[in-house]
Amino acid sequence: MYKILMYLCVIIKIHIMIYTTELIKGTLKTIVLKQLADNSRMYGYEITQKVKELTFDKIQITEGALYPTLHALEEDGLVTTEVEYIGKRVRKYYRLSPTGKTKTEEKISEIADFIETLRFLLDIKPVVS
Amino acid sequence: MYSLSNKQIDYILDDIRARGIEMQSLQGDLLDHICCIIEHNLEENGDFESFYNKTITSFYKKELREIEEETISLLTFKHYYQMKKLMIISGGFSVAAFIGGSFFKIMHWPGASMLLLLAILTASLIFLPLMFILKVREESSTRDKIVTGLGTVFGIISSLGTLFKIMHWPYANIMMFAGLAAFMLLFIPVYFFTGIRNPETKVNVIVSSVIYVLVGGLMFSLIDLRNHETEHKMKMYAFMKNENLLHNMQANSTDSTSQSVAFEAINKVSEDLKGLILENGTGVKNIPQDFEAKDLIMQEGQIGAFFVDNSAASQLLTDLNAKIAQYNATQNGASKIDMEHSVLSLAPYELRNYSNYFILNNISQLQFQLVNAQKSLVAAK
Repeated sequence: MYKILMYLCVIIKIHIMIYTTELIKGTLKTIVLKQLADNSRMYGYEITQKVKELTFDKIQITEGALYPTLHALEEDGLVTTEVEYIGKRVRKYYRLSPTGKTKTEEKISEIADFIETLRFLLDIKPVVS
Repeated sequence: MYSLSNKQIDYILDDIRARGIEMQSLQGDLLDHICCIIEHNLEENGDFESFYNKTITSFYKKELREIEEETISLLTFKHYYQMKKLMIISGGFSVAAFIGGSFFKIMHWPGASMLLLLAILTASLIFLPLMFILKVREESSTRDKIVTGLGTVFGIISSLGTLFKIMHWPYANIMMFAGLAAFMLLFIPVYFFTGIRNPETKVNVIVSSVIYVLVGGLMFSLIDLRNHETEHKMKMYAFMKNENLLHNMQANSTDSTSQSVAFEAINKVSEDLKGLILENGTGVKNIPQDFEAKDLIMQEGQIGAFFVDNSAASQLLTDLNAKIAQYNATQNGASKIDMEHSVLSLAPYELRNYSNYFILNNISQLQFQLVNAQKSLVAAK
């Protein structure tokens, strides 16, 4: 009985695990780019909510990481912005530029390759579904 | 769903600004983001202020400003790797140029000073600033940032001071002195007193400080703090006595030889040339007899690029050379003027290491020879 409870705890713990910022840092650009590729144009809050929803709350992008990244992507010419006035406030939408589209594909295949390498390096058994 | 009033939106925007977010686009981003969170998560009759305060604190670890700092650092360090590469390349280049330049210098090959000049320029204008920018980013404590900054400033000022010294540019001594003063009075104390508090680095800091003081002390011992006023005055008097003697002798020699026109021309060019050098040193061409009272004392120093930069001076030097050579061609024996081992046997750029007084006296010496030659011509008649 005790053992089962332990297993249950472990399973639950794994399930509600939120990845650390360190893990997310290297992939944040790609995650944001992919969202923009799938949704034509998005604003900051929308991106965080979408990612949260798609990953069952496992990846929660912090504001402190998201906006610097978006500004860097804009500076690099990978995304363009357009503003819309909502009453007294301004909402800034981000959209992929043509270079951003190709860059997204590059980044995703790079990460896919990286995951394969990690799987091999860390000896992770594939999950049998 | 909560609906925000304009007043509340203004309140949020003011608060974002007060927390140090200065970039307008970032203000807009954060404002919209917070508004979205409040609208989606706060019940219609919820407490706006406490919910807002709870939300905003979840945005950062220490301060909201972190977001702006991170943005700026991401934008600035887009070229981080290129900068790092450039730093390593420029550092390597300046070391290679230093070693090459020193070797060329020992071998007396041409191009030595060019290589050393390039080495100092790359080190002080490319390598050191880049090193500072990249290093400061890695340094987390303000103490380390200040120490790195002071060290860089010292390094740039002293290496540029050395460059100015080699090139005979003005303010070299002041720059070197200021660099050394910054090193001894600012860098070392800050380094020592901030570093000694940390038990981990204590021993290292003490040893390094001792070495820094040794290096600074050695450099300081090379700096000449003597007052050269008397020396300059004595040299000025010696020069003026020579001049008076020369003018006396010229006045006493009878001017009736066939070469009197040539003599006059040579003397005229010599006086003009001396006038330019004196003007360069004192601001006045013709030095009066009461020069000490009028504070017209020339500081002794290397003539530097004077004959290269001043076209009038180099023209006069060429003229003098040509006129004496022309005169010599018509003479033989005692009436010839010896041009060997004088300023006339050197090219303008070769004169840069000779002192202004040496050149003045050398020209006067030629004029003395002229008086002598005149005498022997009259005697031969």
